[in-house]
Amino acid sequence: MKLVWKLLRQHISIPQFAGFFFANIVGMVIILLSVQFYNDTQAVYTGEDSFMKSDYLIINKKISAVTTITGKSNAFSRPELQEIEQQQFVERVGYFTPSVFDVRATFDLDQSTSFSTEMFFESVPDEFVDVKSEDWKYVKGSKEIPIILPRNYLDLYNFGYAQSRSLPKLSEGILGAIKLKINIYGNGSNDEYVGRIVGFSSRLNTILVPQAFMNWANNYYADSESGTITRLILEVNNPTDENITSFLQENNYETDQDKLDASKTTFMLRIIVGIVMSIGLVISILALYVLMLSVYLLVEKNNTKLENLLLIGYSPVKVSMPYQLLTVGLNILVLIMAFVIMLSVRSIYMDMFQSFFPDFEAPGILLTVLIGIVLLVFVSLINVIAVYLKVKSIWNRKS
Amino acid sequence: METISLHNTLPQVFSQRTDINSDIWKQDVIFEKNHLYLVEANSGTGKSSLCSYIFGYRHDYEGTILFDKNDVRDFSVSQWVKIRQTSLSLLWQELRLFPELSAMENIEIKNNLTRFQSMEQIRHWFDLLGIRDKYDAKIGRMSFGQQQRVAMIRSLCQPFDFIFVDEPISHLDDTNSRIMGDILMEEAKKQGAGVIVTSIGKHMDLSYDKTFKL
Repeated sequence: MKLVWKLLRQHISIPQFAGFFFANIVGMVIILLSVQFYNDTQAVYTGEDSFMKSDYLIINKKISAVTTITGKSNAFSRPELQEIEQQQFVERVGYFTPSVFDVRATFDLDQSTSFSTEMFFESVPDEFVDVKSEDWKYVKGSKEIPIILPRNYLDLYNFGYAQSRSLPKLSEGILGAIKLKINIYGNGSNDEYVGRIVGFSSRLNTILVPQAFMNWANNYYADSESGTITRLILEVNNPTDENITSFLQENNYETDQDKLDASKTTFMLRIIVGIVMSIGLVISILALYVLMLSVYLLVEKNNTKLENLLLIGYSPVKVSMPYQLLTVGLNILVLIMAFVIMLSVRSIYMDMFQSFFPDFEAPGILLTVLIGIVLLVFVSLINVIAVYLKVKSIWNRKS
Repeated sequence: METISLHNTLPQVFSQRTDINSDIWKQDVIFEKNHLYLVEANSGTGKSSLCSYIFGYRHDYEGTILFDKNDVRDFSVSQWVKIRQTSLSLLWQELRLFPELSAMENIEIKNNLTRFQSMEQIRHWFDLLGIRDKYDAKIGRMSFGQQQRVAMIRSLCQPFDFIFVDEPISHLDDTNSRIMGDILMEEAKKQGAGVIVTSIGKHMDLSYDKTFKL
């Protein structure tokens, strides 16, 4: 094989292969970087509301003066729920379950100051909640309840209450470490629990507990599996879909509009990343084309040598091998270089992200690695087949 | 492979011609192992074409060529590769050596396929043919006569049932022609192979079993 290589490396044009190499690196870096960047920014977008995934909408019925006066229920009826579930844009529907027992929460700020308030809980099915699953779990019999609070509770305290009383301001991190004392009573029982705040939501104005706890507690303290359904959480495939808006208007349902706006932003981001990625793809395809041209040229220039090798008993597979290894090796090298560049660019913008969003948790690069490898395999396969066909055409020349 | 037989074979370029007067074209010819044949030809009668057809390099002929009972037109790529490695050897008139490689490397690149000949044997042939000082010389720097000798050694570096030598001595003196003939026959005898020598005039002085006029 060494001799075959010595023979076939004649006429290899370094400038041509360098041209391919750098062009393909540029293309690959753009592709990989846009995938990674999209992933990272997704994490930032959802990071602001870290427990909610991006394409969720919360809907409820409008409350008007008429409903208040007539006492008409604002709960969703069975047929209404079915109608919503059948909509094209809906992927999944989750029901909010309200608590039907009494809750009192006490929160000790220091030795002398403590807050105490009557409150309520709500829950949504766990798959709609994007907190680390070990945090968002209630074990039956446990006295600890994970809780997600609305972010404006914290803002009200920090900018309203604490400001006027010269009390210390609280960050999300500190609150996560503080335990709430929760008293639940109903059905003749009165139990004390510890509430652990595992997340804050700026779009969901409710106090969330895990569905498992809610089911159990409603049953235990109020003899009721679930209350009436007044709010729904929808997973939609495309939040910018106009059908959503018109459907909600027709049925007099309400949703938080800014949720749709944020989803629009991510949708735009997706489009932009898509465009950038296609540019990278085009550059890579052109680079691949350059590579194929140089390999063809090489095969053409070494035509006689290849033919003679075939005639002294080398198989087309064996004769193709050196050029196949050459192209595959180049592709691997390109991928590695592209990863190195992608990672160093990423480390620059990640520093920026970290300073903007201290809580920001970077997603892994696994997806990007996977896409890189898929591209590598795909491109290499094309190269390998093309070289073989070219050599085969030399074999068949005289027939 | 025991026999190579040609039935009604004719190069397509000759198909319009009516004055074919040949012992091979348009005839039934059988080459058998352990026999020595001479094919004498004038230029332009398709001598090299004959070699190319039998070697599976070209297929622009009419009629059939059979190895034993198998039509060579039906052979797959891998069958041809196997045949060229282990049962059919050809010394091309145009040699088909690699000018970028040295004499020894040209031999090795062939011998590596089957490791059929030992290094000692190859060196011995170099010695006999008077080119021992050319082991490491680039083929491109050697005379055609010297190249012919290298090509002859290369064609012996594989197992074969038949060996075709296409004008092997066109650029050799009588002494070297004789030595080459001896080496060829010795190796062919060892393998029990059939030998087909072609010539357009000067030919190796051997005891041919049969002579064809092309």
